[in-house]
Amino acid sequence: MNVGLHHYLIVSAVLFSLGVFGVLLRRNLLNIYMSLEVMLNAANLALVAFSRFNRNLDGQVLVFFIITVAAAEVAVGLALIVALFRMRRSTYVEDLASMKH
Amino acid sequence: MKGLELIGLEIAVIAAGIAILLLDLWTAKEDKRRLGYAAALLVGVIFLASFAMLFEGRQEAFHGMYVLDEFALFFKRFFLIAALLVLLISVEFADRFESGVAEYYAITLFALAGMMFAASANDFTLLFVSIELVAVCFYVLVSFQRQRDRSLEAGVKYLITGALSGGFLVYGIALIYGTAGTLNFRELASLGPEVLESRLLLLGLLFVFVGLGFKIAVVPFQIWVPDVYQGAPVPTTAFLAAGSKGAGVVLLARLLYTGLRPIADRWGPVLVMLAMLTILYGGLCAIPQRNFRRLMGYSSIVNAGFILLALAAGTADGLAATLFYLAAYLYGVMGAFVVLCLARCPGQEDETCVLAGLHHRSPLLAATLTLAMVSLAGIPPAAGFFGKFQVFKAVIGQGAAFPYPAWALGVAVFGAVVSLYFYLNVVRTVFWSSTSESVAPIRISHATRWAVYLVIFAILWLGILPGAILNLAEYAVHSMGL
Amino acid sequence: MSSQLEQFIPVLMLGAFAVIVTVGMLLLSVVLGRRGRNSRMKNIAYECGMIPIGPSNVRLSVKFYLVAMLFILFDIEVVFLYPWAVIYRELLAEPAMKNVALISMVSFLGILFAGYLYAVKKGAFDWKD
Repeated sequence: MNVGLHHYLIVSAVLFSLGVFGVLLRRNLLNIYMSLEVMLNAANLALVAFSRFNRNLDGQVLVFFIITVAAAEVAVGLALIVALFRMRRSTYVEDLASMKH
Repeated sequence: MKGLELIGLEIAVIAAGIAILLLDLWTAKEDKRRLGYAAALLVGVIFLASFAMLFEGRQEAFHGMYVLDEFALFFKRFFLIAALLVLLISVEFADRFESGVAEYYAITLFALAGMMFAASANDFTLLFVSIELVAVCFYVLVSFQRQRDRSLEAGVKYLITGALSGGFLVYGIALIYGTAGTLNFRELASLGPEVLESRLLLLGLLFVFVGLGFKIAVVPFQIWVPDVYQGAPVPTTAFLAAGSKGAGVVLLARLLYTGLRPIADRWGPVLVMLAMLTILYGGLCAIPQRNFRRLMGYSSIVNAGFILLALAAGTADGLAATLFYLAAYLYGVMGAFVVLCLARCPGQEDETCVLAGLHHRSPLLAATLTLAMVSLAGIPPAAGFFGKFQVFKAVIGQGAAFPYPAWALGVAVFGAVVSLYFYLNVVRTVFWSSTSESVAPIRISHATRWAVYLVIFAILWLGILPGAILNLAEYAVHSMGL
Repeated sequence: MSSQLEQFIPVLMLGAFAVIVTVGMLLLSVVLGRRGRNSRMKNIAYECGMIPIGPSNVRLSVKFYLVAMLFILFDIEVVFLYPWAVIYRELLAEPAMKNVALISMVSFLGILFAGYLYAVKKGAFDWKD
């Protein structure tokens, strides 16, 4: 069996949907954050596959930038979540509702 | 290499940011606050230097990834002015940070660099990198009052929604890249409608729009706006409202008006639909609002609707109207947030006491706030009136070619009338409410006083003599080849 | 096809053996240990084992988290460094890139170094508390 572009795209789409559903359904901020990373990596997979298929390297260059940005985002995001946990002793989204009109 | 001189302004901004960051290490604690003036000064110098940039017409660098034209320069100056005002008011705000005052200035500068790159992005790679540079900086800026519950909560909300929209953006870019085989806007436009109309590409486009719509605060990607506007430190909110929104608008405009010009009839109606929804949602939600910052959040949504309406026209007039509208909006927002930053009442989270009886505490600030509200409401002779006028002109000028012209105009008029109500309600609170007359007068430092004068002057100038800026906007639009 | 499968038979056998042994041991211990009879004596550490002290989920110092974050951030630079190193000779051969090849990477590393300087000065690597 040959592995073609479609297979990569299907895996990537599945990963992306898993990420989106994870963000929407999970209640713990850390789980949500992991799901967000899965979404980015789904896009990375699609970009690399397309890059190979299109025979140009632009997509792979973009993947480098996505990896870098994801690292920066994780550093900032986890710092924020740690700070929130220290203050609230909780990382559940239900506890994020102190602001109302 | 050709290109390094084109990104001179951005290099200068980043160098300034790093300089502030390193200067902080050898600055005494009590002097750190004043680094903000140094940062503001540097931004001012860079703003002036932007007029000295020598170049003819449109220039590209880095394989067409980066483009410098009048359009990009217009937005770069817009962001520089916004950052200048934000830095000045954040010096006033600095005593409310537990630590890391200098970092606040530095990160503001880094966000500014991201916005300036966004103004020149002509490629999805640069679009992504610049938008994420702005976003990551704002995650920190929003939650900068670490000891304050609400700031942290707003930060986490912004982080999650921002990262989610970023995920959609990236996946959308992947889909577009897969169908089109290129990441460059120019090359995208040359592909012809059969590729651009393919379903996968349109889906990718939709995903990209999620990422940009989040920045601009378009319904249905607006859920974060009220909470973040309420929780974030005031200078951050001001920068979010003006700068971050501007970055989203410039990226969307560049993408739609160069890359996707051939399929304008596809994105036009979608934009108009979303614009109408945005205006309706923002306007209706703003009516019962009593918290001033949340009100500004909904106001930001309404204004996003008007900007989108102008963009949807797909003509040079529409784009020029967008530019002018943003410029007018910038000063309205800045006017409001300068006042909010200066007129505080200790120990109270709610901002109603800031507004009530403000004219007793500081007539200058009361006048500024009134003028800002009048401008945002679109009453002549303030800047906002002319901005709205331009938008209406662009819509009517399109005639039947504009998607759903009657509906769009109706909703726009409705939005204008509703916003008249809630902005003037603020003015009423300032002058005709009976509480807290005993509060001491507000002291304003020299630098901030100049910032206030600049805002007042700009609002009146744009409103009474809009010709100069309008010419600049049209010139900028022509530089894009429209 | 069949010859390919035959090559994997030893692996399969090893896998099956591992599963049988582990599952069998677990089952045996349940059967022989007369499951369900709990007593205080039975729950303490066995013979020469230490009596456990403190909670079982030990929390690590937040310093480790800081180090991990800084590691990730500085680690990522290799993503750009590596391709640059691979094509460095080709860049030098190209007249348009000749002068920029080194400067661009040095400026990139310079920005990272400024960040490192900042981290050191702020005491991010100062573990003594």
